[in-house]
Amino acid sequence: MKEIIIKGHKVAKGKAQGEALVSKTSISFLGGVNPETGVVVEEGHELNGKSITDKILIFPVGKGSTAGSYQLYELAYYKKAPKAIINIQADPVVAVGAIISDIPMVDKLDQNPVEIIKTGDTLEVDADQGIVTVRSKSK
Amino acid sequence: MKLTEEENEMLEGKYGEAMQTAMELLVAVGECYGAERMIPVASAHLSCANPVTAGKGGTIFIKNMAKGGGRFVIPTTTNPTSLDPWAWREMGFSQDIYQENAALSETLAGMGGYLCNTCIPYLIGHAPRLREHVAWAESSAIIYANAVLGARTNREGGPSALAAGLTGRVPAYGYHLDENRHGSIKIRVNAKLNAETEYATLGYFAGKIAQDKVPILTGIPPSVSQDELKCLGAALATSGSAALFHVVGVTPEAPTEEMATGFKKIGPSDTFEFNLTELKKTEESISRIGPEEADLVVLGCPHPSINQIKRYAEAFSGRRVKSKVEIWILTSHLIKKYAEDIGYAAPLKSAGVRLAANTCPSPMPREFFIKRGYRGAATDSPKMVYYISATKGIPCYYGSLEKFIDWVTDKG
Repeated sequence: MKEIIIKGHKVAKGKAQGEALVSKTSISFLGGVNPETGVVVEEGHELNGKSITDKILIFPVGKGSTAGSYQLYELAYYKKAPKAIINIQADPVVAVGAIISDIPMVDKLDQNPVEIIKTGDTLEVDADQGIVTVRSKSK
Repeated sequence: MKLTEEENEMLEGKYGEAMQTAMELLVAVGECYGAERMIPVASAHLSCANPVTAGKGGTIFIKNMAKGGGRFVIPTTTNPTSLDPWAWREMGFSQDIYQENAALSETLAGMGGYLCNTCIPYLIGHAPRLREHVAWAESSAIIYANAVLGARTNREGGPSALAAGLTGRVPAYGYHLDENRHGSIKIRVNAKLNAETEYATLGYFAGKIAQDKVPILTGIPPSVSQDELKCLGAALATSGSAALFHVVGVTPEAPTEEMATGFKKIGPSDTFEFNLTELKKTEESISRIGPEEADLVVLGCPHPSINQIKRYAEAFSGRRVKSKVEIWILTSHLIKKYAEDIGYAAPLKSAGVRLAANTCPSPMPREFFIKRGYRGAATDSPKMVYYISATKGIPCYYGSLEKFIDWVTDKG
């Protein structure tokens, strides 16, 4: 088991531990994820059919309507939200959504999280300190 | 970000949970955009003030903010809601959506909101002054405030406008800073435009070209009306994401072309011409159906002013809406009342045109449109085309009312 520590920047406070789910493409929470099931429903999306619930969700940046913040809140209300979010660069829609939903979130890591982290890795996110610890099974 | 002592106290929770969440949210947005500080804003205008566009998430969030002690500290107005609270039954809305809508409105009113429920707060007593900083949502109101009134606002969304209303602050970035307000793309208008619809077509053309850049428009006469600029802006903000435009010799930040561009030269590759050919081509590109296929007509988007209602009243005078067609004119309840008081509502009523208040197709439930079974819609606004076709799945015809009035009404 290999352990890497990546430093970044806090977007939304809190700590979480869990399994990584990585998407190399952006995610829209309005229309892209079913808020009652936590399953990605966007046609043709690489995570289509996968659940983001209780995962540490890693993707480059959010996209879409500002109502997406409220969709993230709805996911959290149904207890279907991810445990934490890691972006290359936070956008206001997801950042606002994470803050109002109490989902820890970090961005601007010193290594590209979408490349370094693999789906299934065990992660510890300490958003308050802006630190992500990656425990990778492979290598 | 550098915060003042009071802003830090908000962030630490000294003024309650709701204020704390609101400030956290604004700081995060500020950090996304590299803002260095907060600035005080004079007013907020909220979108997502209805159960459809707020969704379950937004509805619960707003309720929780109210429970957490959230009270608006600046005048905070609201966008149209899911139905006309007076005529919903006759229009075929269900009791359920009426109650959901009323509950959210009550929550916002309890927080101190001005429940004007219109997209034109600036025409009913909430116009910001030149260079005043505000935090508005609703793209057509944002662009009007920035371009026509010379106020300063970013494109706020439902949550950020709510947070601004609760704190009286927004992060200082984007359109709040003078250096981001200059035009960088030029549209030369080479056609005499008549009526709001042709200005809307110009706006649609300009927005497509400009995308997120600020366009400057030349060749528009100083006699251009407030309604024409309102329609131009709404369409521009529909096909593009710019929240500001300048009309040289007309709008307050563009007395000259040099001032509109901040003394930067706009090269030939960023200069475009809008002539009668472009006008026709653009107008035709927006329609998906012919006017004969419309069984729903929605006029005036943004909400029409009293002058626009007067012209609609004149157009429908002595006509009768065809039996399988519904025609709606939706506006603020204040403008509706004004129209009733001075005699513009009566000709609409006798023609069978419905003048309704405080609503818009965008926040109406999609199921409503499915249940009513509309096959096609006709409208004089490109923004309305977007709402009805993209969010409700009904194909649209676009043109000025005179182009399709004979298809949807009978004379005499």
